[in-house]
Amino acid sequence: MLKLENFSITDIFSNVDITFEQGKTYVVMGANGVGKSTLLHGIMGRPDLDISGAVEFNGTDLTELETDERAKLGIFVGFQTPTSIPGLSNFQFIKQANKIKAVDLKENLDKFRDISTQLGLPAEWDKRNLNTDASGGEKKKNELIQLLMLDSKLAMLDEPDSGLDVDGIKSLTEKLSNWKNENNTLIVVTHYEKLIDGLNPDAVVLLKKDGVQIGDKSLADKIFSSGFENV
Amino acid sequence: MYKDLFAEVFLAKPIPTDNYKLDELFNFTTEDLLDGIESSNVVMSYNKVFEKPYFTNLKYLKNIGLPNPKDEQFNFANLHKLYNIEHTPRIHRNAMHEEFSWVAEKNNELVLVDGTILASNNLHGSNPSLRILDTVIGNTSKQKEYVKYIKQTTNFTNATYAFSPFVNVMIFPTGSKEAYHKNPLVVNYLNNSSIGSLNANTTIFDIQHNVSAKLKEKVRTTAGQMNYSIYILREGSKLEIDRTTKDAGGWSLFDSVFICHPNSELKIKSTNTGSQYTQENLYIHSSSSNKVEVIGRNNIHKGNDYHQFIHQISNDVDNYSNIDVKNVGNEYANTSFIGRYDVGALSTNFDGVMNNQNLMLSKNTKMHTRPILDIKTKEIQCQHGCTVSNIDEKQKYYLQSRGVDNINEILVESFLC
Repeated sequence: MLKLENFSITDIFSNVDITFEQGKTYVVMGANGVGKSTLLHGIMGRPDLDISGAVEFNGTDLTELETDERAKLGIFVGFQTPTSIPGLSNFQFIKQANKIKAVDLKENLDKFRDISTQLGLPAEWDKRNLNTDASGGEKKKNELIQLLMLDSKLAMLDEPDSGLDVDGIKSLTEKLSNWKNENNTLIVVTHYEKLIDGLNPDAVVLLKKDGVQIGDKSLADKIFSSGFENV
Repeated sequence: MYKDLFAEVFLAKPIPTDNYKLDELFNFTTEDLLDGIESSNVVMSYNKVFEKPYFTNLKYLKNIGLPNPKDEQFNFANLHKLYNIEHTPRIHRNAMHEEFSWVAEKNNELVLVDGTILASNNLHGSNPSLRILDTVIGNTSKQKEYVKYIKQTTNFTNATYAFSPFVNVMIFPTGSKEAYHKNPLVVNYLNNSSIGSLNANTTIFDIQHNVSAKLKEKVRTTAGQMNYSIYILREGSKLEIDRTTKDAGGWSLFDSVFICHPNSELKIKSTNTGSQYTQENLYIHSSSSNKVEVIGRNNIHKGNDYHQFIHQISNDVDNYSNIDVKNVGNEYANTSFIGRYDVGALSTNFDGVMNNQNLMLSKNTKMHTRPILDIKTKEIQCQHGCTVSNIDEKQKYYLQSRGVDNINEILVESFLC
């Protein structure tokens, strides 16, 4: 369970009070510039953000924890624009993140290759440089691979659909549905109607400058029909 | 013997450009020293033979002065660090044979230590793939042919040659074809165990026509070491050098001169950790249709110095050059890179790329980079890119967000990849 109380980020938004419960799926929506991405990175503890308020994950106060410590608790953020690191291969990155031992290397590599094949990524994707010389869609698929390879309890995905083609959206929806279970939590920032339909969220969160409005999936339908200002 | 070699009085002395006395030094060291060396038992009297020339050469050096810190290739270098290095007299050379006897059991391996060359057993005798001309043991007439390749300049090569005028020559004859490409020749540049002593080597590698050779050079300096190596790439030859220099407590000056004949290819891959003072200079003389590639991946350890000067001169047609040097500077490291292309008026179709990227890991790191392109013809393609940057915070955060601990290590590794 992720609990935010008076969660504010200077110059972005203030006083967000919300609890994301275990076993549930949430869609976050909001106008451009309202701070949807910043909300996710604020929870992840990005060092350059000026954050106030309380944030607690499964009973642990995250306020004083560094980003890597939050990640080790099982929190995962999928980047809107994944960062490129030339010289570090996609699989080496997973190996470092998961601290894979030599004996488990083959099993993990096979799993990585299976997922990348299923997502329609090129052969030897594991050897390619991390988010380098890749299309926007390929980078998003790479984020999905990372989520599936890491032992995450909370996944926060920032517009995972952007850059994906029709088949990619279908694969994304399937993979996320399969990943989701009663022990984890999924938060997705998106405005893509088909993805929202596919995820069938338990709640829709509308982020505003001064807080949040929470509703069921019908809130998303209202936003699509009337716009942000009229809900 | 060398205690005061790098005393400030030497370094501060201005170098007269019109009366450098290089010819005298050249004649003295190339001819007089070799007279009288005829029998193999000279090894036993090695010290005695060269003792007087050493002292005389030192006097010459005192007159001509050592490189000036204001010279182009030493602009950013901490030459003053050498002021305070002291050197005790060297040990008797005979002891080296005992100290480095381990090389005998190796395969395709050499040790170069203070002008003495020691080779693995398989390189002795009539080896069709490699001919070693050891000055001390003999071959003096052949030596003189090679010594003419030694040019007098204003860098440290003068000093190195003066300390080590007994030039060792390694010849890769045409008949060896690719023998030393598949099984590289390992060349160890080492110091003897005498604490604080300065060791110098002057060496010539002759890669003859159409030979493809590979050298694995390992430089380990436990004390002061000065190397002056000349590589002759004959027509149609290929030379690949894999050089690793690790800090072993000493300091190092390494001058490499490459004489590239037409249609030859040179590839240098080097890694360096720096030391209390390391200067690595590459002087590449291109003729025509040469392909030159220099890849440097240097992780300069905490508090170490590493200074590199790469100078390629191209005066003929159709030369290709790719210089790609990446340096990482840890805390209190001091590095400099100066790259220079001199492309003459007749060097049409020169295609050169010079890149130097530097990654600073601390605010206490000093890193300098300077590309110099002196182009005297229009019909070329030439570009450079030199950068100095810190750790990318976005990359750092991305790694952190996946729970990675050893972030600096990973980013350094990926940068140097």
